[in-house]
Amino acid sequence: MSVDQHAPAAARSADALEELLGDPWDAANPAGFERLLAADEAREPAAGAEATLGTFGLGAELVPAALGGRFTDLPRLIEVLRALWRRDPSLGFGAGLRPFLAAAHVWAAGDAGQQRAAADALLAGRLPAAAEGAPGFTAERDGAGWRLRGRQEIVTNLREADTLVLTARTPEGDATFRLDLAALPADGVRHLPRLPGVGMRGLRLSGLEFLDCPVPADALLGGAPGTAAALPVSLLARTCLPALSAGILDTGLRAALDCALGRQLYGGKVADLPYVQGTLARCFADLLLVDAFSGAVARLLSLLPAQAAAPAAALGHLGPRLLIDAMDTLRSVPGARGYLHEGRHAIFQKLGRDLLPGGFGADSRAACQAGLLDLLPGLTRAGRPAEPAVPRGLFPAGTADLPPLDFAALATAGAAADPLAGTLLAVAGDTPQDGLPGRLARHFLAELDRVHAEGAALDPARPALDAEPEELRVAHRYAVVLAAAACLGTWDAGRKAGDPRTGDDTWLCAALDRLCSLTGGPRVLTEAERADVEEEMFRAACRRFEERRLFDLTYRAVPG
Amino acid sequence: MTPPQAGPVAETTAALDVLLDTHPEASAALDPATLSRLDEESGFPREATDLLDRLGVPALYVPTRFGGRLESQEELFHVLRVLGRRDVTVAVAHFKTYLGAVSVWLAGRPEQAERLGREIIAGSRVSWALSEPEHGADLLAGEVTATREEGGEGGYVLSGVKWLINNATLGSHWCVLARTSQTPGSRSHSLLLVGKEGLPEGSYRPLPKVATVGIRGADISGVGFEDTRVPATALVGQEGKGVETVLRGLQLTRTACAGLSAGAGEHALRIATAFAAEHQVGGRPLIERPHVREVLARSAATLLAVEAVGRAGARSAHALTDEMSVISALTKAVAPTLADGLIRDLADLLGSRSHLAAGYAHGAFQKALRDHQIVGIFDGSTVVNRHAVVNHFPRLARNYASGTADLDGVAEATALGSPVRPLDPTRLQVMSRTGCSIVQALPAVAARVARAAAAGEAPATLAEAAGAAEAAVRRVHERMARVAPSPKPPIAAFDLAAAYELGFAAAVCLHVWERRAASGADARSAAWDEARWVEGALWALLDRLGEAAGQEPRPLRRDLRDGLVDWLAEAVAKGEPLTLFARQATGNDAVQEAADER
Repeated sequence: MSVDQHAPAAARSADALEELLGDPWDAANPAGFERLLAADEAREPAAGAEATLGTFGLGAELVPAALGGRFTDLPRLIEVLRALWRRDPSLGFGAGLRPFLAAAHVWAAGDAGQQRAAADALLAGRLPAAAEGAPGFTAERDGAGWRLRGRQEIVTNLREADTLVLTARTPEGDATFRLDLAALPADGVRHLPRLPGVGMRGLRLSGLEFLDCPVPADALLGGAPGTAAALPVSLLARTCLPALSAGILDTGLRAALDCALGRQLYGGKVADLPYVQGTLARCFADLLLVDAFSGAVARLLSLLPAQAAAPAAALGHLGPRLLIDAMDTLRSVPGARGYLHEGRHAIFQKLGRDLLPGGFGADSRAACQAGLLDLLPGLTRAGRPAEPAVPRGLFPAGTADLPPLDFAALATAGAAADPLAGTLLAVAGDTPQDGLPGRLARHFLAELDRVHAEGAALDPARPALDAEPEELRVAHRYAVVLAAAACLGTWDAGRKAGDPRTGDDTWLCAALDRLCSLTGGPRVLTEAERADVEEEMFRAACRRFEERRLFDLTYRAVPG
Repeated sequence: MTPPQAGPVAETTAALDVLLDTHPEASAALDPATLSRLDEESGFPREATDLLDRLGVPALYVPTRFGGRLESQEELFHVLRVLGRRDVTVAVAHFKTYLGAVSVWLAGRPEQAERLGREIIAGSRVSWALSEPEHGADLLAGEVTATREEGGEGGYVLSGVKWLINNATLGSHWCVLARTSQTPGSRSHSLLLVGKEGLPEGSYRPLPKVATVGIRGADISGVGFEDTRVPATALVGQEGKGVETVLRGLQLTRTACAGLSAGAGEHALRIATAFAAEHQVGGRPLIERPHVREVLARSAATLLAVEAVGRAGARSAHALTDEMSVISALTKAVAPTLADGLIRDLADLLGSRSHLAAGYAHGAFQKALRDHQIVGIFDGSTVVNRHAVVNHFPRLARNYASGTADLDGVAEATALGSPVRPLDPTRLQVMSRTGCSIVQALPAVAARVARAAAAGEAPATLAEAAGAAEAAVRRVHERMARVAPSPKPPIAAFDLAAAYELGFAAAVCLHVWERRAASGADARSAAWDEARWVEGALWALLDRLGEAAGQEPRPLRRDLRDGLVDWLAEAVAKGEPLTLFARQATGNDAVQEAADER
């Protein structure tokens, strides 16, 4: 199937990339699973797959349109990069997410000349190296320039790149540098051995120690420390990692279904077993809920950055563990086959290993949860949001356009209001009281009230690091409420627009039922209702599998 | 309180734990950096398994009546825990011989078993050749055939492929499940003990090593039998009784595997605790943060619950033999589920460090995570075992309602570490007609704990936890009664089995606590103080029961949390094992003697 020229730009780009990557199940395909697995064993990036990225011009997806690239908004980037994450998360991270986050520092805080230089490099296919950040890494003024000191143990793409983006602490605040690697004095740095990971083995990782290394003044983004790039990049990281990791679950579901529909057990197909059907249904629901949540947060970053901090923290806390638990549950479908590095379903174990447990450093799950807890007292002070209102444009009915993402504006992100809570109130009020969606909406409305009451009772002066588990639990439940709100908002917009994919009741009930299971307490669905929902979800998953459609909300057909 | 006397369990396996710390060759063979490198290369941990051979561990896989030193299944749990807490790959690679041999112990002719026992003690490795490329747990579908030869010596001709078999290539014997009759039904298969020595060249074909996510160094391979002729004496037990023998053997091996979960869980917990104690955020070590303490406390309590379940399950083979079909299924499901869960929770604590293959603790954390994942998959996956529990639902519900329980059996099964009656393998059944006495006796033990608390002889908080556990288990039984028997149960039935197995774990913990005075073999560790381990375990299990418990998860009480973390941190700092029983540093025992002899 060729790329549909009438599809929205993001879909066309993603499809074009997908087509270049070719059929993953074709053993001869340099970007197919078999070759990717071999590269993974060897701890190397898959050369064939990597080459297609140059052909595709992936670098241009990371450069804002205003600078000559194709980046407009985060949902577009997520859709394109997901095609890569569905295929090889190593490349998805090393050639996609990581350079994007590094470049985002420049888009947020760099001056015009720095932005031009960074854009030109990316447009020419030259990716920057990026360091994950280290607590003890410092920069000191040295005349007009700076001296950098400390160890950076996790650096991506160092040996292949011309430039390196990293952040250092200074007495005046954080300073992010875009370094010309060739210009660093040889005695100013020392290469450190690579710290291999259990997954994403194809990542080009190494380390670099800075020994009072002098760097010029123009390497500092924005010309002064304390320029707020940290917050924008953190928001992007917290949103993108779970959003893109959902692609891993998509392939996992596909591999599990392929296995279940192909294998015989006890005189029938594995997929005939109710246990297997239920498991596939639940993991499918998990994927949709992460997609709905991450999609909403990604749109918030464009539409309402001032209100995006809490949703992004909630997603960064909830998303990664939800996906890991889903893959762990899914593993029971291929069973022993999912533990092997060989065979048709060997890709399954690689996907499990490639799934990161969370963001790095200040974007870890724990940090996100603590951050959300810090924001709660402010969000709950006024009680319920005054307006039950769905922010305009937040839930696309079809292909609503977003304003281009303003990276610098993300620096002002806060928790001025709660757009997802407002969404929940509006949709709950608009949904028939009886029927499953209405009952589920009311449950989460009650949860929102409860979280507000508990949030208002929190001691705002206590740092989240010192929080008691029951306080952190409030943040966790709040994150679940926000996720539910995103699902309801997505469904409601779809229902009103007559979109059969997002407007369908089944996926909503399945996703919200999964969210109920995350908070303990009574479930809304009866066992019989759950059985019905799961049966429909399983059949829907099989249809998507047979039609070669994605398991996410786009429902797009995968070319090839 | 004086430590009770040492018994057989203490002597052999406690000494093994000490030996693996002190023996001059152990530090090289079990060096974490070496094991990490071997893992990366998928290299067999030969130095470690050879050392275990020299220390006399194989004798623990052979029952005393066949010339070995194995008396109690509880010892097997210990061996796996002691090995697994250092390295699960080494444990699996070495322990596999017991799995290969168990069918012979159960059904073999005495001279056949004695001969195998001698060979195992002399270093032979045995594999259990059950699964095939198209058939895993579905034993009756096995296609490898053993055709009786007409005339001549009347031996068998083996044909077909066994695959995903541990020890298939490096081992000296296979215990093969093969089809001896084309008539459909449960009498279609038989077991044959096939020694490689003496087999004609070319009559069998070793299959290549299979690369796996974890236990990468283990010999997971296979064998293709190509009209392999074996003598009639290779038959183990009666023709047609193969599957029945395997099912009985699995009741013993599945239970023993809980030792791997206890070992891997301990290994992960030690690494995470050490990390939390030294890593500072905001000027203070993580271990001082309340939410970190909560995770560590819950993990510690859960780990001890896994130990209690594994040991009580093992002892049940002796004391509640008729119920082993359901006890083994429960143990094999709950132990790895709890251990997988606590390892994931600890991974959150370690953050991105949990993802590294080197650089922090030599990557041992994620190795333990990957290695342990096999436990819920092999020899009866969690799903297969929960299916077995679902099949027992009507009996379990009925017996719970009537309060029927073998109280003597429960008392003996849960007196951990004390001498236990000999195992009578003829009493192993395919279905437990009496349900699960350990769970059926839960209301009674919860009531006794309540009375003891009222009399000031037990903490009131423990009585509260016991009461909550009993109420949760009662609710689970109400739902169980509504599940109709079916060859293809709905997923809700599996959810319920998962809840039942947590209730089983809770019941075990309470019984073990009640029987603490009789648990005489080792001195109890400080985890018993103020009943903290059992109370922590009950609340952690109840949280996992979630909705089935009818209550929201709740954090541990501050003093309970602190008590568990204090015990944990001290044990880790001092290099002491994380176990219900304090380690005894005796050197005067069978294993030490065997080691000294070499």
